[in-house]
Amino acid sequence: MALIQKYFSVYLIQIKNNFVREAVYRTNFLTSMVVDVIWIFVEFSFFSIIYANTSQIAGWNKDQVFFFLGVFFASDALFSTFLQRNFWNFSDLVNKGELDILLTKPIHPLFLALSRWINLTSIFNVFFGIAIMLRYSDGAGFTGGWKWFLVLFWLVIGMITQTLVRFAFSVWIFWTERSFALARLYFQFFAFATKPDVIYPKLIRYMLLTFLPFAFISSIPTRALLFGLKPMEYALVGVVFLAFFILDSVLWKKGLKRYQSSSS
Amino acid sequence: MPSLSWRIAALKNGFQDAVAYRLEFLFEVIGHAIVPVAVQCVIWYALFDLGGATQIAGMTYHDFILYTLTSMLFSQIRGGDHDFELQEMIRSGTLSNYMLKPVGVVEFVYIRGVAPKLLLTGISFILGLIGTFVLHLNIFNLCAAMLLALIGNVIHYQLGAALATTAFLWEEAFSVLMVKNMVVGLLSGEMIPLTLIPSQYAWVWKSTPFYLYVFGPTQILLGKWTMVQTLESFLVAGVWLCVGYALIKITWFFGIRRYLSLGG
Repeated sequence: MALIQKYFSVYLIQIKNNFVREAVYRTNFLTSMVVDVIWIFVEFSFFSIIYANTSQIAGWNKDQVFFFLGVFFASDALFSTFLQRNFWNFSDLVNKGELDILLTKPIHPLFLALSRWINLTSIFNVFFGIAIMLRYSDGAGFTGGWKWFLVLFWLVIGMITQTLVRFAFSVWIFWTERSFALARLYFQFFAFATKPDVIYPKLIRYMLLTFLPFAFISSIPTRALLFGLKPMEYALVGVVFLAFFILDSVLWKKGLKRYQSSSS
Repeated sequence: MPSLSWRIAALKNGFQDAVAYRLEFLFEVIGHAIVPVAVQCVIWYALFDLGGATQIAGMTYHDFILYTLTSMLFSQIRGGDHDFELQEMIRSGTLSNYMLKPVGVVEFVYIRGVAPKLLLTGISFILGLIGTFVLHLNIFNLCAAMLLALIGNVIHYQLGAALATTAFLWEEAFSVLMVKNMVVGLLSGEMIPLTLIPSQYAWVWKSTPFYLYVFGPTQILLGKWTMVQTLESFLVAGVWLCVGYALIKITWFFGIRRYLSLGG
């Protein structure tokens, strides 16, 4: 209990520090909001154009795809709020030797590395995503009620997915020393997450449900909320999470052994 | 010819930069070419193979695949990210170093940044040549399409360079440029053929120069445009070049007066 309390109090301090920083750079709030809104607008326009020419894509109607986009934006915003910046700065920790100071603290260094930067302004996009879901829930066939609690659960699943996969791409910095190429590759694969997994051919779909589980960000959550999942699919989420957790832990430990503390 | 020598030096510098980080360059090309094409093909697969459609907006499955593969040649040529470099120079104050030199900073950044794009243009041209033999396309059309795509690259940078001057006002123009790129992604025709946009909204893409980057060249190469339409597109491109030139002159004339050289 004392351990949880310790981690919780550290996290509260991190939030406070980040809040102060964001209050200083107020224009960031407006600009990041505008960029995200335009991004949403472009994705909506893309599907609107497609649906102007057809009534269904792989059995999904327009409202179901828009509901999917709502889940995607909310889940992605959750990740952007709490973790995204930490991954952008992860390579600096290793390359500039900034990890030294985290290793000397009486708390897990990975916790500090991934909780240091919080982009509080992105939290508004979570609500924006939920508002989109609310707008299209009826047409999509989402029954609502107590199931809105399930929405929160699946948004967290989406955030955990992004964290595990992004970490698996970022941790190679201990070996490669330049992370730009792998980060770019991650974002190329991430493009697959912006479309429902049902539209993909079997091979790509298998990939998105196993070793590059981008479908867990919003395809699986949307299918779970709208149609329900088979027991095997729930099990798949658990197995893939466990596999990625083990992989990430092993790579982190091996990476730490290679860490040379370059700046000191 | 001292004015030519610095331009050649800048171009050489750009080539060296692209070749020095070969892996990044390769990942960027793969990412920009393969993944968007794969996502597009999947959409067509979902509409035609899974959805059972035979024609959409007058185009068959074969037409869509051909459009997507052909547009890949031109989406590689369309604007790079060197307008972001300009905004970063204004924001960080490094613009001061360039102001002391006897070179036009906007032109210098463009020439250096366009080098990798010229490399890709060469590769795209060779691929296009192979395509003309395999698909019995017109070589004259290929040359005209490549030329239009290159002019499009200049226009893209001109607009970006003008927008980058908002950094003189708000300290950063990153978000503005991101928004521009997102809109370009949709209205250039690299995500979907613009003929899919319902005719009542066609004025939206026709009133921007973005369709000259990918959609126009693709239509020319595939022989979908008549000679008159092709010449018309070059005329429109010429007008946009003049507009872009004037925009750069005006925005930089007023913007530079607000330059604070912070951090430079």
